[in-house]
Parts: sequence; C-alpha cells; structure tokens
Amino acid sequence: MSSDYEFSDDDVDNVFDDEDIEMQDDDSDGDDGGDMDDFKVAPKTTRKAWEVQFDSLTQASIEKLMEKDVEHIRGILGVDESKAGLLLRHNLWNKERLIEQYMDNPDKTLIAAGAAMPEPEPPRPSRRPSRKPKASASPKSDTFVCSICFDDAPDITPLSLDCGHAACSGCWSAYITSKIRDEAEHACRCMAEGCGLVASDEFVRSAVDEDTYVRFEELLVRHFVACMPHLKFCPYPSCTNTVSCPGAASKTSLTTVVPIVSCGARGLASTSSGSMTQSQELTRQVTGKEHKFCFGCIIDSDHRPVVCGVALLWLKKCRDDSETANWIKSNTKECSKCMSTIEKNGGCNHMTCKKCKHEFCWVCMGPWSEHGTAWYSCNRYDEKGGVDARDSQSKSRASLERYLHYYNRWANHEQSAKLALDLFAKTEKKMEEMQITSALTWIEVQFMKKAVEEVDKCRMTLKWTYAMAYYLAKGNQKDLFEDNQRDLERAVEDLSELLESPIEPENIPTLRQKVTDKTVYVQKRNSIVLEDTAEGFLEGRWAWNATVEGFEDPVPQDP
Amino acid sequence: MDARLRRVNKEIADCKNDKTSNIRIDLIDSSPFHLKGSFPGPEDTPYQGGHFEVDIVIPESYPFQPVKMKFITKVYHPNVSSASGAICLDILKDAWSPVLTLKSTLISLQSLLCSPEPNDPQDAEVAKHYTTSKHSFDETARYWTKMYAQAPGAGVTKEDTVAAAGLEKAHVDQFEALGFPRAKVVDVLRRLNYRGANVAQITEDRVVEELLK
Repeated sequence: MSSDYEFSDDDVDNVFDDEDIEMQDDDSDGDDGGDMDDFKVAPKTTRKAWEVQFDSLTQASIEKLMEKDVEHIRGILGVDESKAGLLLRHNLWNKERLIEQYMDNPDKTLIAAGAAMPEPEPPRPSRRPSRKPKASASPKSDTFVCSICFDDAPDITPLSLDCGHAACSGCWSAYITSKIRDEAEHACRCMAEGCGLVASDEFVRSAVDEDTYVRFEELLVRHFVACMPHLKFCPYPSCTNTVSCPGAASKTSLTTVVPIVSCGARGLASTSSGSMTQSQELTRQVTGKEHKFCFGCIIDSDHRPVVCGVALLWLKKCRDDSETANWIKSNTKECSKCMSTIEKNGGCNHMTCKKCKHEFCWVCMGPWSEHGTAWYSCNRYDEKGGVDARDSQSKSRASLERYLHYYNRWANHEQSAKLALDLFAKTEKKMEEMQITSALTWIEVQFMKKAVEEVDKCRMTLKWTYAMAYYLAKGNQKDLFEDNQRDLERAVEDLSELLESPIEPENIPTLRQKVTDKTVYVQKRNSIVLEDTAEGFLEGRWAWNATVEGFEDPVPQDP
Repeated sequence: MDARLRRVNKEIADCKNDKTSNIRIDLIDSSPFHLKGSFPGPEDTPYQGGHFEVDIVIPESYPFQPVKMKFITKVYHPNVSSASGAICLDILKDAWSPVLTLKSTLISLQSLLCSPEPNDPQDAEVAKHYTTSKHSFDETARYWTKMYAQAPGAGVTKEDTVAAAGLEKAHVDQFEALGFPRAKVVDVLRRLNYRGANVAQITEDRVVEELLK
C-alpha cells in the first residue's frame, strides 16, 4: 500500500468513468453497469469488500411479500384471506410458529388473533352491546340507539363486526380513525369492553376515509418490516422504502460487516414545488443525495469503516459528560481538609483554601506547616503518597489528551462536512466563472463538482477512522491503519486546497489536470482505507482497547 | 349536536337518575368537559366513610380515547400518587373501551380502592409501606381518610405529620431527641420505610447517616 500512486493519462481521461475502472480492478461479479450514472455506484453490479449486498424495496413490493405470506397461510390452514392476515399479524409474521400453534389448537389461535369469537357465548358480551335487540323491544321499537354516542336519529346505520356489538357508522369511523391516527395501531379491536375481535381490512376500508386507509396500509407494512430481521425501514423523513439486507440480519454479523445501505430514493419525498429560493435549491441538492443509512444501528449516515459497536461507543463517549469529570480530575485537586475542589491558576505552591483556610502544599498536598523552613520548595517530593497522587493525576491527564487528540480531528471533519453546503455553493459559482472566462463547456467543468463530492465522501470516512483509531488496540495493525489514514487525509487536504485556490483564466487547464488527478488519487486512497478495514473485520484482525459488544474483551496494555 | 357533547350530557343525566350507585358527577365550571366526580369510600376498607372527589377532563376524541382522571381528595393508596392524585389504572390507558362511561370508570376507581395492586404501583413509597406492613398501612390510609376525605372520626382536626406518614410516634421522637428537626426525621424515616419488620433491619447509624446528608 504505497502512497505514491502514479496514474496514466488513460485514467485521467476516464475520470468520469472511474467507477468502471474500479470495476475492472475488482472482481466484478455482476453485469456491466452500463445504465449507471457517473456519480453513483449501482450496488448490485459491483460489490467491494466494504459493501454489503442489499435490495431496495418499495412499499408495493413489501405488500406483495405480505400477500404471498397470506396466500401461503391461507392455503395451508384453509382460512379466508382476512383471517390469514390477522393470524399472521398477531403472530408477528412467524409462519412456522403460527402453523404449529394452529395445528395444535385452531380455535385458541384464532381467538387470540381476534379472528374469531370464543365459542360458548358467555352472558358477558350480551350485557351491554345486546342493547340492540333490547332496543327493538322498547317502545321505540324500530329505532336503533348507538351505545357509544346515544344517537337515535332514524338515518344512522348500525354496524358491527361478526360479534354483533353494534354501534353507528359515525362512531366506528371515529374510533378506527382515532386508533390509526392517534395510536398508530393497526389492530382495531371491537369497541365493546372485553371483546377481542379485530376489525378486518375490509371493515376498516369501509369505515375510514382514504387518507386514513393509506395510513393503515402503511402501518401494516411497517409492522411487517419490524417483524422481519432482514428488513429495515428507511429512516429518512416521509420516505416509504424498505431495504432488505439478509447479510446483516443477525447481531453477530455486525462485527464483520458495516451494513451501510441506501433505500434507492433520493432527496425529500415531497419537495415544495413552485418558486424555490437559491438556498432552498441548494438544500435540495445536498439533501438530494441518496438515503444512506446503517442497517445495523441507529446512525442514519455512513459510518464506514468502523463497525456499529465501536461507532456507537464513540458517539456515546462524545455525548457523555464523563470528559468533563476527566478535565476536573486533571486540572483540579481537592483540599485535603474540607474536600472543596480547587483549581490552581497561578502563584506559588503555598495554597490556602478559601473555604476552610487550610494551608497546604500544592505539590505534595501535605499541610504547609510540615514544610518547616524549606518553604517554597517541596522537599517531600518522593514520598509515597505524593507519588501516587501525581501518578493518577498524570495518567488521567494523558488519557484526556489522547481523547482530545482524536475528538478534535473527528469534530474537525464533522465540521467540514457541515460546511459542505457552502463549499457546494462556492464551487457552483467557480464552475460558472470558468465557463465564462475560459472555453470550457458545462460538461468539462463538472470535474470541480466531482472533486467536491469526493472530498465530502472522504471526510466522512476520515471522521470515522478517528473514532476507530481511538478504540484500536496498540500494535502493528493500528500503525498500518494510521498510515492509511494519514495518506488519505493528506490527499484530501491537498485536494481541498486546490479547490479553494483562486482561479486564474490562464491556469485553468493545469488546474483541471491537477484536480482530476487528485480526485482519482483520493478516491483510490479512500478505497484502500475502506477495503483494508473491511477485510480486517472479516479476518478478525482488529483488536480493541475497550469492551465492544460481540468482540473479545481487550487485552490489558500499558497506556 | 356534537357527538361528544351529546354523549357527555347523556352520561351526566344518566348518573343523576341513578340513585343506587351513589356516584355523583358535577360541573366544575361552565364547560361540560371538565367535571368533578365523587363517590363514597368502599365499605370494609380503610377508605370507608370517606367522600372521594375526582377531577375529570374529557378529551377532544372522547369516547374513543380515555378520559383523564385524577383524585382531588388526597388518598393513601399504592396506585394513587400521594402528592398529585394521579391514578394508575389500566382502563384509563390502553384497556380503555368506548363503551365505558364516566360512571363505570368511577365505579372502577371505587373498586380500585378495595383491591390495591402494589406490584404495579403509582406511588412506590406507599406501595412499599403496603407490602411491608399491611396493618400499619391500613392505619395510615384510615387516618388519611379521616383527615382529607371527611370521614367521621374523633380527634382528627389538626394535621399530624407522623400519623400521615404512617410512622410510629416513638421512632420519630427517638431521632428528634438526637437533635434533628422533626420534619426532616419524618421525611427520612418515610423514605427508608422505617416501619414494621423493616425497623429491625435498618440500623440507627443508617438513619443518622441519611439525616446528616
């Protein structure tokens, strides 16, 4: 892995087709990606070591999967479609368990799922809801009184599920709407107290308006997806796509792969049409990226190369206040008498506690009076207590400094990524400028945009390499990792600088050459970092200095 | 007419006509959606003889979402917060059904007073008291009923913090004699659940340690 890559002219000319170049480099196992655009890697065509196999599914295709399962159950158990659906939903779409339970005791299974009434009708349900027959015996014999809203208007229509607990259609509609809208509940049980019958999809469809029914279908899909370990809903707002990633379905697989997936959709699902200000347009462009997220954890961005467990550990550490405590530990001492926390901000070692007026030596923490005549120079330096106290102090300081080293670099890249919006805008301007000042066409200035995107991508990788490096156990592996990291970082910074440099019309051809070269180089370096780490995870090469879920406990080592 | 208003009106009227259940529902202000329910404490319980008032707020989506109820009267009960009157009862949450009415819910509250669920408590300290010593708990609940729910009883006019906290006067006196303020002693002993069999398990040092905090 040398850092001195040379590129032939061929590479440079093909800079916009570099995905194809990489495809030739890798063992491409798929068909040629002739249909993909320049800036996008079609996940199915070429798969690199750091990528996982995944499929993007729309809501409609999930519904098809659900239908297939329902059909399957319907055939085996001989129940109708609506009952099969209710059975599956209640049993969390676990077909095997459902079939087993159903074969064991069909009635019990049906009742538990709310698809059938308990057989011998106890007097219980007839108490309140059978007001309907009672009402017919009352003087107003032909009017129905809804037991929910007490409406007795002649034009209301009584509705009920198979259990016969009637209520007016308005109440049913309001009830089911409130269940779906307010509680996000897809199983709407009968309104009667203690009645477990669940409304069928048909009933729900007839009771609610179209929007609510759409929401109902969405809830069903979400429930299905939540029940399947190899499916995950896209976390982007108002996106309804699902990703299937069997390779990351089990928790143990998360120690060997970083399942970054993309749902296939781009941007926001509903962009306001009409007049869009420039900043809105920019936001759309930036957020118009793929919906990338991690299948294995809750981070909704690309955290390669580091695995979920370590990434989450790092984020938690950065969020925790534990570092504040660390600072206090390394910068302050406690008064040995009243335990007040004291920060020494200058002056000599003769301390007088402001609170209890205790006089002591800052160096050895002993009472000042014991210093005798040797004032202002602590001669008890080598005594055991003092040595211990200093040891723990310096250890804590070292650990803090170590953390800050990694954190600052991590935060730096995060900050840069946030500023990407500005950079995109600036680059856009430069590209226009170039088109005006030189003879380059629109397509010829796209190298700038491509470079900015690459920088942005690499900064993401770099950011997470610092989280990884912080937790990597010392050793040759870590050294190699940090070498790769250094090479990538240097390349990225070089490219960034080139992008920031002012544009002189006469220099544009050389600038273009340089930027294109660097972009390709940066891309290669990024691949190397990602590939090497991904392979390391597969080989189990990485060792940590902290306990990470799924990995072996760290070997104790010297700080 | 709005279905919710019609239903509430009917429920209030029904409750007025029903003389047997002893449940009352009254308006608090001019709104029909903010009510006050009241019922007598169930017999053969420490709450017997008391008159319990409940604050009722009827939400926008009533009867499809449950009513919000909390005790106005202070109640010493594991499932009722001794500070705020908040109630832990399944039908006020996920077990709610639209066929339930204000009256039936208030009856459920009444029966909650008969059968506390200390394993699913709203007020952990009260629940601890209940599980440690049922006898002492009953005593305190009875005291609260006399004190706050106007149950007829001799000698309860001024609030006695020791009895209200369910503690023994002797215990409080013992620690007060060490020079701690009485209110603090009551607070600490209540928190430590210094009652019944627990007294033997909590050392004096432990109590003093807490008192010094």
